[in-house]
Amino acid sequence: MKRKKIILYVLLSLLVIGTAAGIYIYKEYNRHHADTANLKAAYSVSATDLIKEFEGNEQASNKKYGDKVVRVEGVVKEVVKDEKGFYFLALGDTASMSSVRCSIDSVHSNEAALVKQGTVIAIKGICSGFKADEMLGSDVMLVRSTVDSKK
Amino acid sequence: MKNLLVTILGVVITMNCIGQKYYTKNAKINFDATTPSSPEKVEGINRTATCVIDTKSGAMQFVALMKSFEFERALMEEHFNENYVESSKFPKAEFKGELKDNEEIDYSKDGTYTVKVKGILTMHGVSNEVKTDAKIIILNGKISATAEFSAKLEDYKISIPGLVADKVAKSAKITVSCSLEPLKN
Repeated sequence: MKRKKIILYVLLSLLVIGTAAGIYIYKEYNRHHADTANLKAAYSVSATDLIKEFEGNEQASNKKYGDKVVRVEGVVKEVVKDEKGFYFLALGDTASMSSVRCSIDSVHSNEAALVKQGTVIAIKGICSGFKADEMLGSDVMLVRSTVDSKK
Repeated sequence: MKNLLVTILGVVITMNCIGQKYYTKNAKINFDATTPSSPEKVEGINRTATCVIDTKSGAMQFVALMKSFEFERALMEEHFNENYVESSKFPKAEFKGELKDNEEIDYSKDGTYTVKVKGILTMHGVSNEVKTDAKIIILNGKISATAEFSAKLEDYKISIPGLVADKVAKSAKITVSCSLEPLKN
């Protein structure tokens, strides 16, 4: 009788563990990216300062900002909408080829559509790295970005 | 004297037009490693690659940040960056090559051309030669280019764990498309 009880408990615990693992795997597999708008920025910096920091030390900056949510403030140099309706905003010094280039998360396209060139705005995005080129300037890249209206 | 100046100016302008560089910072690169046994699309897209083409020499270059490849599923993107292409260690992919039949392209007027492209693709710290066809469209002073090729993951030392080996293609189909504008110096 005691033995039967033990077996029953073991089976029940296995079932609970199995179900929990199953739910976890299912959830993890179907997990979508978090909306950057709801994430807290790890750093808040001006576009020109961020570019300067990366130009000064790419490796250290990649370590500091890479995969982090960064809030960048600057003058809008470019508003690009591609043929599929995705928006890209470039912030920085208009006299330079270098920018902080932000791909806007498609759920935030409407807000990006209202952005005007020459205005000062803040963008929150996830830093995906840095590209430097003699001819084309130095660009810090942000993905899944959103226009941050909070001051 | 005036004529000479006009001639010099004319030559300089013509040279500039012929030797013009075209560029974009919004080239699209699609990375597709879906197999028939994949439960869903194994596909990432990078919409912010840089591309430069020198119309005089036919030299071309692409640079893409690996972490700028976006996947629909967060887990797939994390696996791509952390386990497969090791983006933190190898942040960029680069293609340096040339349009083989560049002299056949008349960049000064509208037209469509299919040309051979040959170059070196560096990804995950490994360089391999890539040969493919590219379609070049000249329209209203702008250049559009599209190309497609396969990259064998093994050739770039990208290993897929046994558990998901049959769900990820051994060769990724890479599609590139971009619209280039003249580079003003």
